[in-house]
Amino acid sequence: MSATPARSGADALLQFADELQQQSSSAEAPSVGPELHLVTFALDREEFGIPIGQVREVTRVTEITRVPQARRHVRGVTNLRGRILAVVEIRSRMGLSPAEITPRSRVVVVGIHDRTLGILVDGVSQVVKLPVSTVAPAPEEVLSASADYITGVARWNSRLIILLDLEKLLLLPD
Amino acid sequence: MPNTFLVVDDSKLHHQMYKVVFSRGALAGNTVYYAMNGREGYDRLAAHPELTLVFLDLNMPEMNGLEVLERRRSEKLHLHVPIVLVTTESTAADEARGRAAGAWDYLRKPFQPADVERLVSRALAHAASRSA
Amino acid sequence: MTTEENAFGELIQDYIVECLPLAEQVGDAFVQLERRWQEGDAGDELLAPLKGRLHTIKGNSAMMGLDSPQSVAHALEDVCALLHADPARRNDEAAALLIRGSGLLIELVRTAVQKPNPRPAAQFVKVVRTFLDRRRSGRGATKRTGLLLERRRTDRPSPEQVAEAGDSSSSVVRVDFRRLDAMLEVLGEGMIEQAAVAELYRGLARKMGVTNELADLDRALTSLQKTLKRLEGIVMETRLLPVSAVFDRFPRLVRELAQARQKRVQVVTSGGDIPLDKAVLDRLSEPLVHLITNSVVHGIESADERGRGGKPAEGTLGLRASSESGRVVIRLSDDGRGLDDSKILAKARSLGLEIPADTAQLHSLIFLPGFSTADRVSSLAGRGIGLDVVANTVHELGGTIEVESRPGRGVTFTLNLPLTLAILRSLIVEVDRERYAVPLSHVAATVRNEVDMIHQVNQKGVALWRGDLIHVSDGGALLGTGSASSFRRFYVVISMGNRRRGILVDRLIGHQDIVVKSLDPTLGRPEVISGTTILGDGKVACILDTARILDQRMSA
Repeated sequence: MSATPARSGADALLQFADELQQQSSSAEAPSVGPELHLVTFALDREEFGIPIGQVREVTRVTEITRVPQARRHVRGVTNLRGRILAVVEIRSRMGLSPAEITPRSRVVVVGIHDRTLGILVDGVSQVVKLPVSTVAPAPEEVLSASADYITGVARWNSRLIILLDLEKLLLLPD
Repeated sequence: MPNTFLVVDDSKLHHQMYKVVFSRGALAGNTVYYAMNGREGYDRLAAHPELTLVFLDLNMPEMNGLEVLERRRSEKLHLHVPIVLVTTESTAADEARGRAAGAWDYLRKPFQPADVERLVSRALAHAASRSA
Repeated sequence: MTTEENAFGELIQDYIVECLPLAEQVGDAFVQLERRWQEGDAGDELLAPLKGRLHTIKGNSAMMGLDSPQSVAHALEDVCALLHADPARRNDEAAALLIRGSGLLIELVRTAVQKPNPRPAAQFVKVVRTFLDRRRSGRGATKRTGLLLERRRTDRPSPEQVAEAGDSSSSVVRVDFRRLDAMLEVLGEGMIEQAAVAELYRGLARKMGVTNELADLDRALTSLQKTLKRLEGIVMETRLLPVSAVFDRFPRLVRELAQARQKRVQVVTSGGDIPLDKAVLDRLSEPLVHLITNSVVHGIESADERGRGGKPAEGTLGLRASSESGRVVIRLSDDGRGLDDSKILAKARSLGLEIPADTAQLHSLIFLPGFSTADRVSSLAGRGIGLDVVANTVHELGGTIEVESRPGRGVTFTLNLPLTLAILRSLIVEVDRERYAVPLSHVAATVRNEVDMIHQVNQKGVALWRGDLIHVSDGGALLGTGSASSFRRFYVVISMGNRRRGILVDRLIGHQDIVVKSLDPTLGRPEVISGTTILGDGKVACILDTARILDQRMSA
């Protein structure tokens, strides 16, 4: 499918996606019921989702100033309308190489507890609403490869959206 | 052969409510086990792989419903047994989290006997389709 | 639905049996909490389990179709959640609300068999709604109030606004400190904007040469800057509190500590009038408490031991504040045993540290992590509280801390602090295309670097400056810019007290008043950076932590 470098986590995910598509004859019809409201974004060719409630805004990338001796995975700080925002490189946090900033890159400004910070992403796809019933636990191989910040996957309209737990993702090691 | 169910809830009143539900109509005649807290509930689950359906209250002290689900997931205990998470309120995000932890469905309070009956039918149908 | 229609109606007695004791437990806890809060105790451990109990009552009531106890339990749950998150609101008003609610809940549960009048519950829920909403619209709700008395308003002011305005005969107003923070922030934005306009002016001047109109613009900008500075001065003043605000707590603390150990200690303070920014003061009290605790617990001897040493039976703890060249100096001294040099030496050896040449440097080792040399663990003072934590806090405030000790005579800690945290005159420098702000008050000089000016001794750079040999570090190495050190055109000599150091940089950009933004916790704990700021062109620059850089034994 995608030409990403071999990573057991990603390969396992793609395989799982294939399996899910084959299991299309599920006993239950998708319920209308409660829905998840997500902002999705891309890292390499994978699509990730976070709850819209945590997203304050999405902006283009303006200059990011490096901060000497900052924690690992913090790319630096940037000026967001007069406020200083720390920008986290979640690619490196997830074991990918640091982002090359392109016109498609974005900073997703998120709020967790009382902190506001930005995460650098390769491109923002869209805001989606999907039925909660499309959520399933992430498969074993994905979990062990990627630690506990993946809370599950949502299969929807032939897309596979990997759900992230921002708290666990951004709980940075020193 | 009667089906078996498990109720995990720290409220004695709820145990009695489930007893009322399982004493009448289509649900009468089944075996129901009761546990007072998450730990006890987990032990009961371990002892009964034949359970048709588990009703697991979310809000319990010490070990809550979500924690029971997560422990089950990490220890891979009887993953075939469907577990319904019972709660007074939950946002879509809470529900997603419960499902990601392995909840088969949700039951919102207040519920009526009919809601329980519906879940039981679905659970039986689900079991039937899997073994088919 | 009524209990008759409800499928579980027959269980009404069981409902009462389960929920009534829970409701009564909740009510009892609220009464206890009221007393605790009056005593200044947060009562966290009492508050925590109540949420679960209220949740159970709420769920059970819902199942039984009992709307009134359900809504009351829900409302109480919300209040408890608020108080859990916001300890500042744990007061008499909140307690009264809780007690009223639990009383109502108990009644509703007890009489659940009958059909209750829904009005008391509905009313209580409304009161709670108002209570909760007031919190959320905090600052917004009082936007009609100004800092100063507003006599123009024709509507009646709320009790809060009156309290804030003070009575009309007094010349003092009470202001929420957060509003002062807000003022400072907006002022800061104004200063950034002024700097941005000044940048634009400079760009224009370069392009067009200086015309008459541009000269007028330059004058206007300078005048604006002066006005902002004056405003800054006034805002700063409103934030000042005398240090006695913090000093006054200590005699009681010392008395408790001393009595617990059968010691006698008196506290002598002076300079209580010296003003400090409230934000600095707030953060200072914890380190001072640590130092005082250490002195009383470990420094000052028992009355007997003192007698044998020819000292008065009562020990003395001195707290002196003074203002020295734009900084505030706080000296904390005791007349106890003084530091135990042999213990420090032993500890240094066991930690594998380089043994310093003189006593002063030996004593300054105590600020390193791992250096608590107290050998007993006591319940009150713990294990000789780490002075590294104290030193860190002082550094974060932009200050320095030093210690002097004489065996048998006592210890003196000297804290040197800036008057304020918020706005800093700084020198902007550039290293490997990155810009940094250096607090001007710590800049002794800027020197043009010449070939052979800096010599390598033991792999460290040194230079002769004003007759002294000082260490000179490469800015790029210090800041991890990642480039090999090349010839840099300038070095900045930073100094504090009698310590000096040079830092090599590529360019000197200029002076600027910057608004200090403290480090976002997400960044972790960088050691060479003390904060960040936004420069005139809108880009972010890091502020050099000169205090820490001077304090550390740097390798580069």
